[in-house]
Amino acid sequence: MKLTLSSVYRPHSFPKFLYCSSFGTLGRRFCSSALSSSPTCVKPQVPLFLRPPIYSTKLCDLKKWHDWAKGVSLSIGSTFVQSDNGADSNMLCRELKWLMEDAVEDHSLGMEDDDRVKMRIDIEELYSLWTQRVQERRPFQYVVGCEHWRDLVLSVEEGVLIPRPETELVVDFVSHVVSENEDLRSGVWADLGTGSGALAIGICGVLGSEGGRVIATDLSPVAVAVATYNVQRYSLQDKIDLREGSWFEPLKDMEGKLAGLVSNPPYIPSEDISGLQAEVGRHEPRLALDGGIEGMDALHHLCDGAALMLKPGGFFAFETNGEQQCCALVDYIKSRSGRSFYNLEIRADFAGIKRFVIGFHQ
Amino acid sequence: MAHKILFRPTFVLTLTLHKTPISVSYHPFRRSQQQPFSFLSTHPIPLPPTARTTSNTHTHLWCSNFSTTTTVEGSEKCYLYLTDEDLMRQCEMDTFKSSGPGGQHRNKRESAVRLKHLPTGIIAQASEDRSQHKNRASALNRLRSIIALKVRKTVDLDPYSPPRELLQILPPKSSIRGSDCGPQIGPNNPRFALGMQALLDLVFAVEGSVSEAAKYLGLSTGALSRLILSDDSLRKEVNDLRASKGMKPLK
Repeated sequence: MKLTLSSVYRPHSFPKFLYCSSFGTLGRRFCSSALSSSPTCVKPQVPLFLRPPIYSTKLCDLKKWHDWAKGVSLSIGSTFVQSDNGADSNMLCRELKWLMEDAVEDHSLGMEDDDRVKMRIDIEELYSLWTQRVQERRPFQYVVGCEHWRDLVLSVEEGVLIPRPETELVVDFVSHVVSENEDLRSGVWADLGTGSGALAIGICGVLGSEGGRVIATDLSPVAVAVATYNVQRYSLQDKIDLREGSWFEPLKDMEGKLAGLVSNPPYIPSEDISGLQAEVGRHEPRLALDGGIEGMDALHHLCDGAALMLKPGGFFAFETNGEQQCCALVDYIKSRSGRSFYNLEIRADFAGIKRFVIGFHQ
Repeated sequence: MAHKILFRPTFVLTLTLHKTPISVSYHPFRRSQQQPFSFLSTHPIPLPPTARTTSNTHTHLWCSNFSTTTTVEGSEKCYLYLTDEDLMRQCEMDTFKSSGPGGQHRNKRESAVRLKHLPTGIIAQASEDRSQHKNRASALNRLRSIIALKVRKTVDLDPYSPPRELLQILPPKSSIRGSDCGPQIGPNNPRFALGMQALLDLVFAVEGSVSEAAKYLGLSTGALSRLILSDDSLRKEVNDLRASKGMKPLK
């Protein structure tokens, strides 16, 4: 088709540069509109707690479901804990409580067994959701379509990493750094491999309305779609720029200009993937977990890029697999980039595991 | 000035507060006699300014393993004046997880937070929220509240000069309260804890006598009683002190 077109158009006597540029623009427009209607364009799911309460069920039926689900949860005992350090009965019962909170609309009317309860989901679907949770070990966050992270409630779904509590600390690091540096507060920050957009949205919050903006990238179209949804839910579309692509690739225009760079990249060594907790290994995207043979492929790439992309005085924070990777990464930075960075530090998470490497660009 | 911590080793204080209008709790089945879903009353709540607004969830605040009348010297003794960040630095935070590598390896919603304030040994805990970040903020607010209730400073009564924070929680009719104190701060204001601490310091200094304390504050005994009764935890502290001195409780 392209060949035919060009053979048709080429004989025309348009100056060649004009022809090229106009066709180029047209071509790009055509492509992007084609993309948005193609299957690669993902429509993010609405989290359960945001769905309209259009279903209703009898209270006794809801109780019946709850008793069944609780029984299923109790029957698990510590089976999952023993097999792969998964959830125990107590944890499942807590999740069940949260599922109820999200599924049932708030009301305080008198409640007899025959009274109807307004729900955001059909009661039959609740049965299948809890079966998925327990039998298939589907992560609870995918079941309800959201994760509570810092003061945010973020939409998540299959194909997007569920943000972890550990990662909340990265926002605290940024908050601390910008509290004493107005230049960094008003600069452009980047969150690479943003997933649900958690770090980008969290950082945008600590930069404040007068502060700079955030560019968030992700290779996965699903992640970009979900992050876009979350950014819109917090009305931050003017402050957060989402770009699809691998790591620094969509950031070519920002060389030497970034005030800060953060990432929670895949860092699990490939050979550990098969032994992961079922919720993680079977359901979360391998793209967001597998960091290559030693787990440090992405971390190395990020450190190389940081030297190029950060402006003088710019800050970076990366999450790692633990102490070993933290130390290896600091060594790597020192040997590769020599004096490009200063104040390199390893920080522990709340469980006391050395988890983050932070530092500044010269 | 020295801080005296006036409670027993491994003393456990469990606040089981009743349903209050403040807690935006979730009671879809409230009227049901059996309370089949009584657990649903633990809906995530907004950050409570202090422990007394923490709803009917199981709020365990306890203090342990330190001797009575510990004296803490040094500049860090005015804990309540510290910023959240600095107060947090004095705490050991425990997130109830120890096993495994954590991070991306793990999917467990263990968002509960337990803070141990190292200088005093006071422990505050929060677990009602699904986000660890919010639980940390709740626990820190609870910590402030319990520090106010439990950490005592000796007060110089001759002459007595109440701190500004105390003046701010007094009703306007107090004769020592200047007009520059602004409107009266009530129990729902996070700064109430500071005034409450100073008030308890005074009540302890006069050994539980409300009429005596009222004189120092330029108030009638009745007016000070009403102020003490306006806050459940404050009333409890004062009444516990009075009981230990063989005095009748305020009602």
